[in-house]
Amino acid sequence: MRAGALEMDSFRLAAYSVPCPCHICDGGNTFDSEVCRHCQAPMALAHQANTQKIQPRMIAAIGPSGAGKTVYLGMLTDMLSRQIEDMQLLARGAFSIKLQQHAMAALSRCEFPNKTPNEPDTWHWIHCQVLRKKGKPAELIMPDMAGESLLEEVDHPHTFPVIHSFLTKCAGVMILIDAPSAESGQSEEDFHTMKLVSYLCELVIDKRTGWPERPVAMIFTKGDQCENCFDDPTAFARRHTPGLFQQCRERLKRHRFFAVGVAGAVGFRNELHGRLQVPLRIEPRGIIEPFKWLLDELDT
Amino acid sequence: MTVMRRFLTPNWLLAAAAPLSLLVGWRLGQFSLGAIVAAGAVCILAIRNAKWKSGAGSKAEAGSRTPPPMEDWSPPKNTPRPPTARRAATNDSLVEQMIAQGREALLLRPQIAASLEDSDLAAAQVALDEAMAIVPQGIVTMRARCFDDLEVADAPRGERLVQVDGYFLDRFPVTNEQYHQFVEAGGYEQMALWDESIWPAVLGFTDQTGQPGPRYWQNGKFPAGKEDHPVVGVCWYEASAFARWVGKRLPTDPEWVKAGSWPVPTDAGKTAQRKYPWGEAMDRRVANMWGNGVNDTVSVTASPGGDSIGGVQQLVGNTWEWTSSTFGNWEPVGLKIDTPMPLKAIRGGAYDTYFDTQASCQFQSGESPLARKHNIGFRCALGFCDVVLTGGGMDVPAASTTTDPEPLPESQPEPQPEETPA
Repeated sequence: MRAGALEMDSFRLAAYSVPCPCHICDGGNTFDSEVCRHCQAPMALAHQANTQKIQPRMIAAIGPSGAGKTVYLGMLTDMLSRQIEDMQLLARGAFSIKLQQHAMAALSRCEFPNKTPNEPDTWHWIHCQVLRKKGKPAELIMPDMAGESLLEEVDHPHTFPVIHSFLTKCAGVMILIDAPSAESGQSEEDFHTMKLVSYLCELVIDKRTGWPERPVAMIFTKGDQCENCFDDPTAFARRHTPGLFQQCRERLKRHRFFAVGVAGAVGFRNELHGRLQVPLRIEPRGIIEPFKWLLDELDT
Repeated sequence: MTVMRRFLTPNWLLAAAAPLSLLVGWRLGQFSLGAIVAAGAVCILAIRNAKWKSGAGSKAEAGSRTPPPMEDWSPPKNTPRPPTARRAATNDSLVEQMIAQGREALLLRPQIAASLEDSDLAAAQVALDEAMAIVPQGIVTMRARCFDDLEVADAPRGERLVQVDGYFLDRFPVTNEQYHQFVEAGGYEQMALWDESIWPAVLGFTDQTGQPGPRYWQNGKFPAGKEDHPVVGVCWYEASAFARWVGKRLPTDPEWVKAGSWPVPTDAGKTAQRKYPWGEAMDRRVANMWGNGVNDTVSVTASPGGDSIGGVQQLVGNTWEWTSSTFGNWEPVGLKIDTPMPLKAIRGGAYDTYFDTQASCQFQSGESPLARKHNIGFRCALGFCDVVLTGGGMDVPAASTTTDPEPLPESQPEPQPEETPA
């Protein structure tokens, strides 16, 4: 045995004995864990947060499967990182660029990104700093959670500890709703979203800090397929998702409806594994407004 | 007999009766009776004479209504002009009016040009030359949307050579002001301009106040300050109707690509084509795209550096442009894109197009022909064969001046334009 090897092992043993808390669920982990052994969130978040003076705020983009969470978050981060005017987004850590890279690579090929897998350790997380002309810089953490996992957690609480922990700590949330499905009269979209709102409201009971007091942006996605949702998103919600509209009005004090679109038009391509939706062009619309509103609400 | 008739008038008889009655009364000793009869005859004669004089005065007044000499005559304002003069005057104003409306192409149609004077014809040709650029005939390579993703062995499936005849293409997209003239001229009521299949839907092509016109207008008027912005919020049928009104048509997909990428035939039947009208790389200083900070349409004259070799402005950026072709024509078999309804091809990208590659000349997107989007406009085209091009300073290259393209392989049929000229 070489000299000094014993000291190194001792040092490691000493380091292992100090628990490193997960930034999402506060569960103890070793210093060299890649993902939290309790909730599967990346430990890089904890390491990044420890190096910052400001504690990052958490914002969630949630919604039923296929609502467009990955596309929305990828588009939002790419737009903010390319924009040099009102808001700028600076990624913290290479892992924070993965979602943007993944989504943009697909969209530039006129494809939608693959469905987010249900396993939390494969989700993309974004830790970023948002610089604004007005207001202080904001440190944010935003994961791209799988829609099916979200609904599973809503139906069976604590199935996904990462979702439970993250939504408990979240400062604000963006709920994405598939506008064409809602417009076509499919009540599934309405029910799924109502479940999410209901879950949120029961997650934190406290009247002052609970979800009724936190800002919630209700975002109708795929606006290119039903243009009238851009005219008046609130009226669109009242008409096509009446249950959700009523629930928001009664339970959420700080909420607003928005409409967004990423693709200008869509078509379908028949692939071996089924019919695949493809965007015919990319022209983002209304992407930044909900996020900006949410940040403004967090400041107040 | 004639002399007797002339003297047997009542006046002469009365005049003769007066002395005769006096003479008869004196001879018969009844002088007083004769005098009374003579006096009565004189009175009757006097009354008749008075009536005649009044009647003669009326006739004299009537006689004074003779027409004045021709040099002093001027017709009343509402009097129709002589047919020849009227035709000449109407033609003059109509030619000017049509040129002012940008409808000079109609004047240059062989049927109409034959009846025009040389000066009018020359004026129309000059106007056409100012408004439209020449795109010479030749071959153009059309690529599938997924061309870059194809394997090397599959690449030929994603490319087709298409022969395009020479044609004119509007130098600028159609502006709000130009479209306003179409609306003002009752374009939405002239059903001959519209495809018969779309007649029931034309009533629904209204602005925000229910007036006929593009979707984002109000009270039949375009937004203030946007007179020279490209018209948007018009569907494919509205674009086609406007094109017919000005005597033109929408360009086909290969025509549009040829105008932008300006292909040069090379060996082996291939072409060297530009990715963008000005070169191989996107230049956001000359194209209004996402990221410019404008986030809206700009004037059609706003980016002079972005013109094609032929002098066509703003083919890329600002607004997508309708073509007459169907979307997805160039996709290889097995990679076709299904859509709920057949789409029309649009080209060129818009002010909110995010990726540079999606604004290149080769990128084709599609939209429902009934869609009235905020970022889709159009420009018009006109075949060389559709107009009279003699004289008037028109400098149209002859067919022999363009490089003769390689003969197309038999396995690559030439797709014909879907739309015949209006």
